[in-house]
Amino acid sequence: MIVSFKDGVKLFGLSIVSCCAVLVCTMFVNYQQDLMGIADKITTETAQMLYQAQISMGKVICFISGCCLLSTSMVLMLFYVKHYIDMHQSVLGMYKAMGYSSFAIAKHFWIFGVSVCIGCIAGWSLAYGICPLFYQAQNADGIFPQIEVTFHPSLILFLIILPSLFFICVAIGYGYFKLQAPVLDLLKERKELHRRKRHPKKEKPSFLQGLRQSILWEKKVLVFLMTFSAFCFSSMTQMAFAMDELASEMFAVMLMGIGLILAFTILLLSLSTVVRTNRKTIAIMQVFGYTDQVCQRTILGSYRPFAYLGFLLGTGYQYGLLKLVLTLVFAQVEGIPEYHFDIGNCLISLGLFLISYEMVMYCFFQKLKKVSLQSIMIE
Amino acid sequence: MIRAKQIIKSYGTSQNAYPVLKGIDVDIPEGTFMVILGASGSGKSTLLHILSGLECPDSGSVIYQNQDITQLSDQERTAFRKDTVGFIFQQYHLLPHLTVEKNVQMGADLVKNSAYHELIEAVGLQDKIKSYPSELSGGEQQRVAIARALAKKPKVLFLDEPTGALDEQTGRSILQYISELHQQWGFTMIMVTHNENIAAMADQVVIMNSGKITQVKSNPSPKHAYEIGW
Repeated sequence: MIVSFKDGVKLFGLSIVSCCAVLVCTMFVNYQQDLMGIADKITTETAQMLYQAQISMGKVICFISGCCLLSTSMVLMLFYVKHYIDMHQSVLGMYKAMGYSSFAIAKHFWIFGVSVCIGCIAGWSLAYGICPLFYQAQNADGIFPQIEVTFHPSLILFLIILPSLFFICVAIGYGYFKLQAPVLDLLKERKELHRRKRHPKKEKPSFLQGLRQSILWEKKVLVFLMTFSAFCFSSMTQMAFAMDELASEMFAVMLMGIGLILAFTILLLSLSTVVRTNRKTIAIMQVFGYTDQVCQRTILGSYRPFAYLGFLLGTGYQYGLLKLVLTLVFAQVEGIPEYHFDIGNCLISLGLFLISYEMVMYCFFQKLKKVSLQSIMIE
Repeated sequence: MIRAKQIIKSYGTSQNAYPVLKGIDVDIPEGTFMVILGASGSGKSTLLHILSGLECPDSGSVIYQNQDITQLSDQERTAFRKDTVGFIFQQYHLLPHLTVEKNVQMGADLVKNSAYHELIEAVGLQDKIKSYPSELSGGEQQRVAIARALAKKPKVLFLDEPTGALDEQTGRSILQYISELHQQWGFTMIMVTHNENIAAMADQVVIMNSGKITQVKSNPSPKHAYEIGW
């Protein structure tokens, strides 16, 4: 078998992200449908205003988290498929050389879509476990009549079957596209060179500067993922702090949980790829006498500015989003406090981010140091 | 003088240890060109890695100017490699995403050698300075590896089958070039190979078999690369 089931399962990060997406969407869509089912029983003005607000809120959350997590899942899967092809170029080239067509090889990539399916099923099941609590929190003041959790079979189609099929098709399609490369390029593991436009500079960059630039240039998707993981961490944690004051503790816990899982999953996935793809570079540098600190600073440290940029963007995003939701969606609802940017929460979030990011970086580098230089050199 | 004493090295777990080096003793005078000859699996590459401070033996010592490098910490061994040794590998191990210039600069920057362009010119690659390794032939890639190793002005140059992946003509030109540099610059050179003909170029030949040195020969009249068989 060209791609084993184990290769698909390795993409657990994608399962986690799709689990989060389906969890949020199932809870809100299910709640909305149940809420609409009792719409005729909502008679008071306050209840009707809250009904409208919750319906709008549900749409916004489903749209934002759905789009955001769907695009993240897509980037993660395409990134992994590309990485898989890069790492197995010679084997895939051998299959092509033997006469297998690109499609015959690519169709085995359906396995990568399975991780989305696993995540969707997990998220959907988890959502039904949490729904009673969620319903209670949404109607904590008892403004609406009792809302029962109803099972909606259509959600299985829209939140499990269709997304899984879509991802499976995209994995096969993207694999097919990438496998269009000439057989010899695959066999000899020749990579397409992306030449940068060079602007004449007064001073030539040093080796380390050149290496840093080339690492970032060659792995632009990793730069995006690093930025995005910081973005998730920043926006979700700060939003969770704000939700504690604006909405309910349950919302806060949910946002914090999803945010942290998402941020760490993406961060770990990106870092493990950074370490794996730069193992040889670090080994050669160490052979030549570059110290661990220099290797760490040059290779892993290159991503640091982007992580901080992601944090900054996340801060801006969460502020803008909350301001927008509270101004537009809840404008008519009484008792909603005005939202102001909380510098204290921002600093706590930044502190947590700095500690987590640097710790993860440190652990990965220590892991890398344990691999013997000889074993890397003879690979 | 480099002196290796009673070097023992095994791989695997303590229950399934596979001995690779079984008590190696060897003296390498400064400025010598030494060839370590042996069949595949004889332990010659492991010995090279231990002599160069890439790996530590299970027991024994490697003395460079009264300093036992097997007793150094990881950090100290890194500093030792930086100051003392250069490497040329069979598979070149160039950084694929960097140009020829940047690959050579990797060695040069370590010792703040700003004259690395002369080396690129010396290995005949001045026209390919902006090329990437994948755009070069095997011989050209090996010449980049030579320039990279020499750019850090090593006192000892370690070569692990440097012509193993090259055709005869390219292999000979590379060997001739390295040997001329060795005579010109006077560094110590230790080369691992399984090609017995190359041994005729060396001052000293160490023959290994099954983790032991079976013979050490001195060569009073080393030959040129174009005089040896292939």
